[in-house]
Amino acid sequence: MKIVVTGLGLVSALGIGIEENIALIREEKTGIKTLPKILKTSNKLPVGELCVSNEDLHSVANINSKKHFSRTALLGILAVREAILDANLDMTKRVGLVSSTSVGGMDLSEHFFEKFIENDTSGRLRDVRMHDCAASTEAIARYCNINGYTTTISTACSSAANAIIQGAKLLKHNIVDAVIVGGSDALSAFTLNGFNSLMILDEKLCRPFDAGRSGLNLGEGAGYLVLQREKDVDTYYCQLAGWANRNDAHHQTTSSTDGDGAYLAMKEALNKAKLSPAQVNYINAHGTGTGNNDAAESAAFIRLFGKKLPPFSSTKAFTGHTLAAAGGIEAVFSVLAIKNGYLYPNLGFTTPIEDYGLKPITKFKDGVEVDCVLSNSFGFGGNCSSIVFIR
Amino acid sequence: MKCFIDKVITHKDVTTDIKVLIPDAGLRRRMSSLIKNAVSTAVECLGGVDKIADLDAIITATGWGFLTDSERFLRNMIVNKEELLNPTPFIQSTFNTVGGQISLLKNNHCYNMTYVHRSHSFEDALLDAMMRIADSESKNVLVGAFDEATPSQQRIMERMGLFRHHNNGEGTVFAHLKSEKSENTIAELIKIEFLSESLTQKECLLKYVYSESSVLLWNKYKNYGLFPTATAFTFTDAVNLVKEGVKEVVVYNEYFGAKPTVIIVQNLL
Repeated sequence: MKIVVTGLGLVSALGIGIEENIALIREEKTGIKTLPKILKTSNKLPVGELCVSNEDLHSVANINSKKHFSRTALLGILAVREAILDANLDMTKRVGLVSSTSVGGMDLSEHFFEKFIENDTSGRLRDVRMHDCAASTEAIARYCNINGYTTTISTACSSAANAIIQGAKLLKHNIVDAVIVGGSDALSAFTLNGFNSLMILDEKLCRPFDAGRSGLNLGEGAGYLVLQREKDVDTYYCQLAGWANRNDAHHQTTSSTDGDGAYLAMKEALNKAKLSPAQVNYINAHGTGTGNNDAAESAAFIRLFGKKLPPFSSTKAFTGHTLAAAGGIEAVFSVLAIKNGYLYPNLGFTTPIEDYGLKPITKFKDGVEVDCVLSNSFGFGGNCSSIVFIR
Repeated sequence: MKCFIDKVITHKDVTTDIKVLIPDAGLRRRMSSLIKNAVSTAVECLGGVDKIADLDAIITATGWGFLTDSERFLRNMIVNKEELLNPTPFIQSTFNTVGGQISLLKNNHCYNMTYVHRSHSFEDALLDAMMRIADSESKNVLVGAFDEATPSQQRIMERMGLFRHHNNGEGTVFAHLKSEKSENTIAELIKIEFLSESLTQKECLLKYVYSESSVLLWNKYKNYGLFPTATAFTFTDAVNLVKEGVKEVVVYNEYFGAKPTVIIVQNLL
């Protein structure tokens, strides 16, 4: 059974909707700002922030601001709505939702907690009502009229790739007729401070795969795909041909030197798609900009592709690392690479990492013949997932 | 879709010394109490740490994740005004930590997934296991569920009025599922269904219970308290009833505003 992509939706620091995002990418302009404007924090760090307040996001989404939704839910609703419209989806069918998040409603909970730790009768309950991860998913389902199987996945930074994998399985097993898959994560002081305490945030703009890279920039956003069975539709963007989820089993927060998990995930995803590494035309790398990830991913690339590494880039220098949304946002970029022949530049790159000598794409390209794209998403807990799209 | 159940245990069934269950002292020391609790239940369920190496899927479920660690990091962040923070509680607050730690104990590179969808997180994990077994992607799967109660969670839910008719609860359940029947098999998982509408106990009986030899456990999660993965405990009850000779047990769960689920467990033919 062929699984195809029939709709796309995207929100990131670059803007709301695919058009706004691609317009800035064409101009090779990053969405990462030097300081947070909306997020309340004393950290002076660059972030991929969507400069629209929660209140304004409610009105953009046409939701009464009294609903007091978490930012994760609002970003998700905007991207899922775009994907449903794009696919012209018949919502009377069994439409499912597999959404991922790592922060859930933490952007609201952290305000609640400031008051609560002083006095446990304080803090507004409406600020903690959406704390759990499923709250954003249920809000998306309700405000996008999704009535089928709905679930939430949280496997750190590989989450959305795993949501895509799970969606494909639900279609194969006829549990849904169409499924919206991807992830949403808002910036929060919790995650910004968390990554900062691990000393993996760059104080400057991130530079994935560059010898002088010194960490990642956090971002926020949401990216979703509509998946359907090929036999049920007339037109589609491309086929979701392969996927794999493997564990690096090396360390809770760092990747193995040889990129074991990354290598296994990429290899198995290509096997599942019945493709050889030589058939890949573009890789959307995980490429966070940390010393450890980019070295491990480079090692895994060389193990799998040898000297014939296809054009690759990390788009995180545009969006920041959007955690559980990253695999969704990057899947949207990957699908557009096939549809429109886009190759995305890896902003901030100047000098290859000495041990590997790999050079990512540095200029935006349009109209390139791209038939096969591999997209990587790796996370804490050793989770490594890869997905393959083909024309 | 169906699969065989070789073992199901809760944290209360763990009798082996934790130093035997988690021999790596370094790993054990760094684990928070919920992680330690969940990982030791997992290893006890498998019958030893070496058995982790044979798994081809590790699937976990938690509605709330690691509340103690999340709260610890949040509190430090607020009190220390975002300066000089210890990363450990942040790292351990990640929802997939238990799955990752289990794979780490025996460097198992297999499929690793975590579901976090309120009252049906555990059912989501069971569905994934059944789909992987049906697709011949897995033969030997570990599925687990865990949630913890904390003083803050107790207080917040009290203020929300959620404990007027329920008690708080917490716990850990792990199940060992197989594609083929083995000498250890105790029951068969034959159905997992997500419903779009609620069913009353009577409706549930009419729709799913065909014979007098079947038992319905309708919203029995209440016996374990109001927490997202209490459904995993009702699943344990169902498997134990089958072990005691009941032919078929139908489990219905619905709470916390997520879709209702039905799980059907049968004895071995």
